Amino acid sequence: MEFDLKTIETLAPDQASLSSASKLTKQSNWPRLEKNEQLALIWGECQGSGSNPYRVVVDTGDHGYKCTCPSRKFPCKHTLALMWIAATTPASFTAAGSTPEWVNDWLGRRRKTTSQSAPSAPGAESKNIGEASRDDESAAVEDAAAIERRETAQRKRAQETRSSISVALDELDQWIADQLRLGLAGFVDNSGDRCRRIAARLVDMKATALAGRIDEIPSRLMGLRSEERPDAAIRELGKLVLLAKAWRQAPDDAELRRLVSTSESREQVLANPDAIQVESVWEVLGERIESRRDGLVSHSTWLLDQNSVIPRFAQLLDYFPASAGRRSNAFTSGDRFEAKLVFYPARQPLRALVVERKGDIASGKWPDFSLGASDPLAAHGARQDSAPWITDSPVILPPGAILLDDRGAAWWQAAGDPSGIALSIAGTINATLLGLNLAATAALWNGSQLDLLAAQSGFGRLDLS
Amino acid sequence: MNEIEQTGLAAMRDCWITGGAAFDLAPAAWKTIAGNANPDERERRLLAIAAQAIEIALRPAAPKALKQRPPLPELALPILPERLRPLLRAALKHAADARFKTRVATLVASRGFVLHPLDWMPAASYREVPDVYAAWVDWQAGVDGEKQSRREQLTAQTWDDFYPAARRTALTDMRRTAPALARQLIEAKGSSEPAEVRSTLIELMGVGLSADDAPFLKSLFADRSGRVRELAGRLLARLGEHGNLSDGTPEDLTAELAAFISEGKSGFFRRRTTYAPLKLKSPSQESRRVDLFATCYLGDLAARFSVTESDFVGAWQFGFDDKADLFFIRMVSVSGGEAAVAHLADTLVAEGGKAVLLALHLMARLDSGRKRALIRQILKDTYDLHALIQVEGVEAGWLEWGDLTNGQTLPTLRSPVARNDEPLRRSVDQILETLGFLVTAATAEKLIGDVVAAGMAPAAPSLGLLRLNASLVGP
Repeated sequence: MEFDLKTIETLAPDQASLSSASKLTKQSNWPRLEKNEQLALIWGECQGSGSNPYRVVVDTGDHGYKCTCPSRKFPCKHTLALMWIAATTPASFTAAGSTPEWVNDWLGRRRKTTSQSAPSAPGAESKNIGEASRDDESAAVEDAAAIERRETAQRKRAQETRSSISVALDELDQWIADQLRLGLAGFVDNSGDRCRRIAARLVDMKATALAGRIDEIPSRLMGLRSEERPDAAIRELGKLVLLAKAWRQAPDDAELRRLVSTSESREQVLANPDAIQVESVWEVLGERIESRRDGLVSHSTWLLDQNSVIPRFAQLLDYFPASAGRRSNAFTSGDRFEAKLVFYPARQPLRALVVERKGDIASGKWPDFSLGASDPLAAHGARQDSAPWITDSPVILPPGAILLDDRGAAWWQAAGDPSGIALSIAGTINATLLGLNLAATAALWNGSQLDLLAAQSGFGRLDLS
Repeated sequence: MNEIEQTGLAAMRDCWITGGAAFDLAPAAWKTIAGNANPDERERRLLAIAAQAIEIALRPAAPKALKQRPPLPELALPILPERLRPLLRAALKHAADARFKTRVATLVASRGFVLHPLDWMPAASYREVPDVYAAWVDWQAGVDGEKQSRREQLTAQTWDDFYPAARRTALTDMRRTAPALARQLIEAKGSSEPAEVRSTLIELMGVGLSADDAPFLKSLFADRSGRVRELAGRLLARLGEHGNLSDGTPEDLTAELAAFISEGKSGFFRRRTTYAPLKLKSPSQESRRVDLFATCYLGDLAARFSVTESDFVGAWQFGFDDKADLFFIRMVSVSGGEAAVAHLADTLVAEGGKAVLLALHLMARLDSGRKRALIRQILKDTYDLHALIQVEGVEAGWLEWGDLTNGQTLPTLRSPVARNDEPLRRSVDQILETLGFLVTAATAEKLIGDVVAAGMAPAAPSLGLLRLNASLVGP
């Protein structure tokens, strides 16, 4: 590996990037560090501030690089950190015989540059890698001095936010009552404008998360058949009523605060003694990367616990600005790895962070959850009992198959239950699925439709995401 | 939820859809929960209860007309191992169209595996798929899903139990092993099939074609389908049964074509007869000659000049008119006898250079050995490596490293890679993809090493099929 600190200093876009990179050089931030000397490549997965890891690859020959983070600094702090580790502790990298698929993808797309180093950016001479290392220590001293001031300010801001949200929820209540008075048929037809207006008011009054949720209602309704939309509108608005009432009862409740205003930081979750930690083998069921109306892109990775006797799911959820461009997937569907996850405190913990990721595990069958066909949505119902504001639930469906109705729409139905429950499937499906008997199916249920993630069948694991 | 609540919920729902207060319509128990709050608050509370009732208490009922497809049949070969599927998907992603994707499936089948059905499924309409996929082709075609292909002997009794693809595969096999039996089946059952299916069945007669088939083929001149009559005429022509047998080649057309061909002599000591296309005066004459080549049969034309097919083919002077050469070869391909086709292919391959490329038009009629010889010659000459991408119907995974080093193939591939010449590299990408289908696993590995050493990115998408090939070993 051909890195020295001088090269990293030259490549860094500014001093701040170097300082940030220096904090990421700890081994604990990198569950995977690998190299292939034949291909002159190093790569790793950095557990950054998001729930999903960032994947970084660097060509040590020509210093080309790629990181999946949304940063607009090139190279970003993760790339610089990876180079930094390569320069200072090259033994941290495990030799790998083959390159992962995401590295191959990048190699296949990139154009090789002939220059061996990037030109110095303006102000490059002012960057200093030694100073970056010292930044840490001095910052720690400054933080200690500012803690009290910051906490006071935080308390004040929290109080102001709570008052503001309370007013926001009053407006929301009134808005809901208006929709009922004006008629849900009109609401469904004009949901885009109506939801946008109230969402904008909620953002002004710091109920940001709730605003984002309301902004998504139109697209959720439009994804359904027209005859399903009124019921879906009742569900969506009814859940908002319940959520607003619950928040008023317990505004400091972490789950409710997350759903109404803002989410706690990664550090807060890690430091929270109430946050459940689960160490197990997790399989990546699939990812959902969706552009939202508020200009953010939500990136969810759904995991299934392979050691649990009942289906236990985890959702790694990140948001980033749509302007940051398309983001590469953090995982490949079907990946299995051993990891310790911490769940955001909630009545039905689902959203999680990776605390520590250990080795990858070979794929195999899912555990036998011995699910009966009587009510494939029983788990969803149980979640609703304790957290009725939840919209989407991951479920494992019992043995079944996918069938078509006379309009060509797809339905999942339990095996041996031709007159029982049939669950509508969102979007179009691969026609081959119609010929496969599904031993178990993982999907997201939104109250009206299934969004298929993965399944087990006689043909092995099926990636349906 | 009891019946009263269901009725109340339905009434409230209707009320909210049109707009208005639903409190009076609510079930009594729900009214109690909604309490004595102000009217707006009462409506919101009822809305919350209704939302949860819809979410939890109601379950979607199955539509009456749900239709289930029969299970996708398991194929005779095992599914490609999971660890190789990423390589496969990369190769499929890079394959430009159904033809190239089918090549990937053919390569994998040649190593004893089939693809996972979610990675690739043969289209019902695409016939050039490996035989092992016949059951899936039929599954795709069997929209009604009423019957299954049976793995039993095709006979007149079981004819209707076979879907078209499985029947085609069985008949092709039978034409190789018991051609008379297959002919009798086609004769007995073909007449009741629609014209399109009938012509497909007659095409199969081309496999293992022999003089024994002539009476049946002659009987097809009474068929009501022009396409079937034309096919029968060509097959008969391949058997040497020429002379105005069908309604497609009246003798005066052959005479007209012969008039566009000059007969000459060459050689100083040993004078021999030659045939060459006449230099024509107008595009309309050229167009007419092209039409005549497409209509007439080689046997008739050779007879017109009182020589055998092989003699006529051997005496043809290539290089006077490229277009005439091309259409002459096509005529040989569709109506020439086996000997004439083999003779022409051997002549062109022996000549080398540009002539070899003309032999590509005979591919469909060549035996495996001649196909391989043709490809080896293209590689040896390196006149136009790009022509390789046109090869059709050839076996996968047999080309050895020595075939690539027996000429300028490797330097020709390396040069644009090393110079980063973008347009030429695209051509190299396509050639590498074709070679990925043709070469052995060991050769694939060596070839990857060679082009990577020349400067190609190790994970370049164009190496996808080669990487898959190199990783594929039998089950």
